[in-house]
Amino acid sequence: MTFTLYNDVLDAECYKVRLLAALLGLSPRIAAVEAHPGAGHRAADFLALNPAGTLPVAAAGDLVLSGAPAILVWMAAAHDVTDRWYPRDPGPMAQVQAWLETASALAATAGALRREALLEHPAPSGAAQSAEALLRRMELHLLLQGMGGRGWLVGTHPTVADIACFADVALAPDAGIALDPYPALHAWTLRLRALPDFLEMPGIAPLHALVDPLTGHR
Amino acid sequence: MTPCPVALSRDLPPGGVKRVFARGRELALWRGASGQVAAWDNRCPHRGMRLSHGFVRGDRLACLYHGWQYGTDGTCAHIPAHPELCPPATIRATGCDAAEAGGVIWVAPEGYAAPPELPRGLVALRSLTFRCDAARLARICGLEAAPVLYLPDHPSLVILPNPLPGGQVEAHVLTAPLPAADRVAAVHLTEALRRAAEAEETA
Amino acid sequence: MSRDHAVNDWYPVADTVRPGARATRLLDTDLQVAWDGAAAAVTDAAGTAHPVQIRYGHVWTCLGAAPRALFEISEAEEPGRRLVPCGRVRVRCSPLRAVENFLDIAHFPFVHKGILGAEPQTEVFPYAVKIREEVDEVWATQVRFHQPQAAKSAGGATEIRYEYRVPHPMAAVLYKTCPPRPEAWDVIAIFVQPVSETECIAWPWMALYDDESSHAEMVQFQQEIFVQDRSILENQLPVRLPLDPRMEIPTRADLTSIAYRRWLKRRGATYGAMTEAQ
Ligand code: FES
Ligand SMILES: [Fe+2]
Repeated sequence: MTFTLYNDVLDAECYKVRLLAALLGLSPRIAAVEAHPGAGHRAADFLALNPAGTLPVAAAGDLVLSGAPAILVWMAAAHDVTDRWYPRDPGPMAQVQAWLETASALAATAGALRREALLEHPAPSGAAQSAEALLRRMELHLLLQGMGGRGWLVGTHPTVADIACFADVALAPDAGIALDPYPALHAWTLRLRALPDFLEMPGIAPLHALVDPLTGHR
Repeated sequence: MTPCPVALSRDLPPGGVKRVFARGRELALWRGASGQVAAWDNRCPHRGMRLSHGFVRGDRLACLYHGWQYGTDGTCAHIPAHPELCPPATIRATGCDAAEAGGVIWVAPEGYAAPPELPRGLVALRSLTFRCDAARLARICGLEAAPVLYLPDHPSLVILPNPLPGGQVEAHVLTAPLPAADRVAAVHLTEALRRAAEAEETA
Repeated sequence: MSRDHAVNDWYPVADTVRPGARATRLLDTDLQVAWDGAAAAVTDAAGTAHPVQIRYGHVWTCLGAAPRALFEISEAEEPGRRLVPCGRVRVRCSPLRAVENFLDIAHFPFVHKGILGAEPQTEVFPYAVKIREEVDEVWATQVRFHQPQAAKSAGGATEIRYEYRVPHPMAAVLYKTCPPRPEAWDVIAIFVQPVSETECIAWPWMALYDDESSHAEMVQFQQEIFVQDRSILENQLPVRLPLDPRMEIPTRADLTSIAYRRWLKRRGATYGAMTEAQ
């Protein structure tokens, strides 16, 4: 079953949805919304779909979902027959939920700083310190996960939690936040970028190292 | 002068590239497929792009902007815009001396210098950055500033400080071989040290 | 370097997509810009009003006493073209680096992989560059490159032909094969607002023949490409554009950039540049 994704190419929340769709082998129909400069997300037809006026929105028949966390969970639950991207065991499922909340906190800090750097939308004061605290927490967690032989935020397979947190981490340099101080976090972003069918976005370059220069293929 | 500890070897696997600082000099540190490490000024000779954003193919570092490739000796080996051209030997990335010892990558920003002697058998734990200077990091460990900090209260820990621009310092932490649970405890100890050092900073 | 030359040029300080007011900076000067949908006003902190003109979907202003004429893009008046202002993107780089990047094709396979270029087709074929003295503009012609998806309206991979034009130190216009109309050129421009020597705001703008794509699709196609460039632009060192030919090493593929740098130097347009090796 396919769905329509209302999408803004520069928006990290929309990117989360496009990325998981690519990794799951889904090809949603993309409906471009000109959030900038046209404020297309404030237009009447879009507000009729999502009165909150936020992106992304996914529409599958009568089901209309807004916000990356809900759409990620729905895509994994509905389309991943392996149940690995959204684990159903209570412990891991709750851990995924906790990281989805961290992802929202990242969006409100690192993500807001990026929107400020690119588009001049002011970020809340203290966003830089809060973003650093979040990145340090993720670094510590991923370091300890690695010491336990686990490469992902929850367990040994990537989940929707990794996708939700990845976008604002990988885009942090666009906001002037260097990732140099976080080796475990950096290694985790590389693992994610090396996944088959990984999809880049402006600000996240493809891993050219994996391309065969003679054929142009991975 | 002693060389600067810029990274733990295990944080730069073959094919890896990262930005490091050695006494204020910004460098691209990378490791080719065959394991050799090089440290170059973080600036592509072509149009100045930071080479630390580049990518490694085999034993060459390629610049992200136009894909120029440089071999481990720094000479430009390939210019994709002119695939048939053999690049003149004058096009080269400038580098400085890089060496690996004890699981740590050391860079001498000028000249050559041997890494300090370290006790044998140390194992890499982690690198972390402190928002304070090297002197405060040493003090919080109960020591004077030095190239190698042997923590008096935690004899299994060794910290190699590397000052960064902006008054920060990165700490490369090594430990004696420890059981897994003790390694986890050592990680938490480094977090506590940082909290203490930075609390003093804001106090 | 000095802004003496730069103050007499016109710069974009807002788009005309939606009415509104914004506080911004131009050449290190704080400005208030108001656009009500019909008229615009630009004032500085001292309350001085600066001249305004509305062209190419943007509000332009000039801070100097002797404004040079704003360049013409005649295609803007052609019936049937869709005019597409693409918003603004802030970049921590020299405004001149932003223009130079716009003139560069060799980076397509690496920075715009899968859209404007892809390995292994990385070769830049010979093209012609000259400074057209009669109009005092830099022109590059007979540029061609293999592209996987040259425009929103291009169905698939094609060899695309280009001409580049630099009519202003901080603006460049690109004429490019128009997939649905082989006899016409698509026009894509970049108008750069120099905030300071090391920070700028890019205002991409297009005049296209495209009957298929929605407005939002065309805007987002261009935004995607420009923000890919942004990651490069924020990581070039030195931040200001070096005009001393010893500081960076160009090749034949960089003829446009070489001519652009010479042209800047000769007209004294050094705001955002460094003229000596440091
Ligand atoms: S700037 Fe490095 S290849 Fe052009
Ligand atoms: Fe580009």
